[in-house]
Amino acid sequence: MSAVMSNPLFREPLSMAGAEREIEFRDAVREAMCEEMRRDKRVYLLGEEVAQYDGAYKVSKGMLAEFGAARVVDTPISESGFSGMAIGSAMLGLRPIVEFMSWSFSLVAADPILNNAPKMLYMSGGQFGCPIVFRGNDGAGGQLGSTHSWSVEGLFSNVPGVKIVIPSTPADAKGLMKTAIRDDDPVFFLESERLLSMKGHVPEGEYLIPFGHAALRRQGKDCTICSWGRPVHFCLEAAEILAKEGIDCEVIDLRTIRPLDLPTVVASVRKTSAAVVVDQSWSFASPGSELAAQIHRHCFDELDNFVHRVHSDDVPTPYAVALEQEYLPNVRKICEAVRSATYRA
Amino acid sequence: MPIELTMPRLSDTMEAGTVVRWNVKEGDAVKSGAVVADIETDKATMEMPCFDDGRIAAILVPSGRQVKVGTPIALVALAGEDLASVKAGGGSGSIASSSSPPVASIAEPAVSKAVPLTSVQTETTHGMEEFGAASARMRVSPVARRMAEDAGIDLAKVIGTGPSGRVIKRDVEAALAQVASNRSSATIMTGTAMSVSTSAAPTSVAPLTLALRGRDIALSSMRQTIARRLVESKTTIPHYQVTMKFGMDALLAMRKSFNDKLASSGIKLSVNDFLVRACALAMAEHPYFNASFAGDSIRVHEQVNIGVAISLPQERGGGLVVGVITDADHKSLRQLSSDARALAEKARTKGLSMQEMSDATFTISNLGMFGVEHFTAIINPPNSAILACGAAIEQPVVRNGVLCVGTEMQVTLSLDHRVIDGAMAAEYLRSLKEFIEEPETLII
Repeated sequence: MSAVMSNPLFREPLSMAGAEREIEFRDAVREAMCEEMRRDKRVYLLGEEVAQYDGAYKVSKGMLAEFGAARVVDTPISESGFSGMAIGSAMLGLRPIVEFMSWSFSLVAADPILNNAPKMLYMSGGQFGCPIVFRGNDGAGGQLGSTHSWSVEGLFSNVPGVKIVIPSTPADAKGLMKTAIRDDDPVFFLESERLLSMKGHVPEGEYLIPFGHAALRRQGKDCTICSWGRPVHFCLEAAEILAKEGIDCEVIDLRTIRPLDLPTVVASVRKTSAAVVVDQSWSFASPGSELAAQIHRHCFDELDNFVHRVHSDDVPTPYAVALEQEYLPNVRKICEAVRSATYRA
Repeated sequence: MPIELTMPRLSDTMEAGTVVRWNVKEGDAVKSGAVVADIETDKATMEMPCFDDGRIAAILVPSGRQVKVGTPIALVALAGEDLASVKAGGGSGSIASSSSPPVASIAEPAVSKAVPLTSVQTETTHGMEEFGAASARMRVSPVARRMAEDAGIDLAKVIGTGPSGRVIKRDVEAALAQVASNRSSATIMTGTAMSVSTSAAPTSVAPLTLALRGRDIALSSMRQTIARRLVESKTTIPHYQVTMKFGMDALLAMRKSFNDKLASSGIKLSVNDFLVRACALAMAEHPYFNASFAGDSIRVHEQVNIGVAISLPQERGGGLVVGVITDADHKSLRQLSSDARALAEKARTKGLSMQEMSDATFTISNLGMFGVEHFTAIINPPNSAILACGAAIEQPVVRNGVLCVGTEMQVTLSLDHRVIDGAMAAEYLRSLKEFIEEPETLII
């Protein structure tokens, strides 16, 4: 076990010891899956195009060759069917990884993934668990239109019994995927098509990142910006701009929204007295609104202003490139929210 | 449209004002010209009239509360307007609230029904305003309230710089910093008050190396103004001083003769009255002494308004104000004397109005009555000069080669070198000297 894993809180940036190599986000996800499949014969991957085509986004490239057709399984275009099948296999002791080409397509599998997997342990009185990972692209991939640009965390985080992981870096993707596969509960693992080609230092070999432990991406004293997944990078960009204006931002990458690392957020907001939550799902009843409510509750006497939120606009995702850019939580919106939250508007 | 009453700017130096008292309550009918509130400025308490007929829909700032100039303090509903909806619908004065109507009022045509009703997407407006004016209670952010409680700071004395005058963290931090610097300061009077807005230039105070015990006296509005304005004057105006002695025998003799004759009419001319007259008359020849430095120009004033420093009794909180005798060059000695007496009397009893303290073009400070021989004064901006007068004192003088006893008075001009050069100052003093030493010239 690496030094990284031995840090129980893991709130500091990931140690880069032994991580000179840079690999892509998709390679990091694949490395995690392969390591776990070598370690545990119960783990298998299934989904559309994952085997012979090496994955629609090449995440599972070469896995068929290494693990064979019994453990890397091509499915028909039938999300409801193969999700249900995988859940059944998990109930009986396997540890499936289900790839959705896009989380937008998981909506047709709503019944198995929301009504079966998260409730199985509870409704069977503890007889059946459901150790399963659902993974795929989430959020706007870039001009995919409204039906293919879902940020499903807005919907799915409402359901008790699921764990939701939204990594923002290749290193986190590997460490969190390994934890997801070993977890005994259903895990929704949300990748971003826009991050798959992102390169980053990823430690070789074994390390796991526990759920519910945020990463401090930037230290600051004036405003706490909380985010997860792709928008974390917009937050860091905004923080640079704001630093030039004299607003010193702390950027917290929650990494998992269920469980949610409130202690880290609360400690930061108690220091800064100002918080901005950046969430690429829609604002109404979202992870962002939940986090804001939690901050208001736990930091009430520490806040200098209400918690500001930046979301995707409350409309279906536009197709036009300029509109899509404006629709998403972007650097400009984050800067405006921070200025307002710190009364520098 | 309902009318928004905002904290008025009642003087050039006013940055914030306190609602001393509301004369109306919510629901009251008001007529144009009615005095709705008493407002304390940095120098005086003034009446605030309403300029419209209507009814008070909402009082947004409670009495006793200090807010920045321009902050909405009340809403007036006009004829036909519903009180409750005015109270609920306005008062923020924010553009955001008018451009994003409350969700409840959205009644879009069927075409847009397909689009979800918008909720706040990027929250940069300040929530309360969107749903109408909140109550008049003091607005304090939670952390500001806690910090103030922890430090024992009276929030009523802290000016809120947040939306609608909300007291926020930086306001309490500024107040804390002020308390800290006052504690470490040898003198209390040089500090800027905590209730001075953070936009005012902070006055630096010298730290003490020894922890001296003492008591801290909160600054009155007036003392805040003195601290701020005089530091500003002394640090931004290139001051220099020129002193001259005047022989006073002739003037004192004339004064005695006049006062004897006027005794029955209750008039008693002071030396200062003669000085005011002399300074005013000398302006005709020396217009730059009746001028202000204006950055890229010098404004020579048409009116000659002589300010007279008036010290206030301790029981009224001490301090000083400058009462202004307008058109002093056109007034007789008798008129000047009666004006000066009335100003001093009112300043020491009721307090002067803004008008009675505004628009001095030259100032005289006289400590002669205390026996002071000589002192220098700090220019009262935007004046370019101030005259500091000592006492008329009997002393040995040489006249025509003979040592004899005469009465002399020293006066010292403090000057703004951007406007007035040394030789000009000397010439002005020579003119004054002629007026004082040949006092009949003051009469004709």
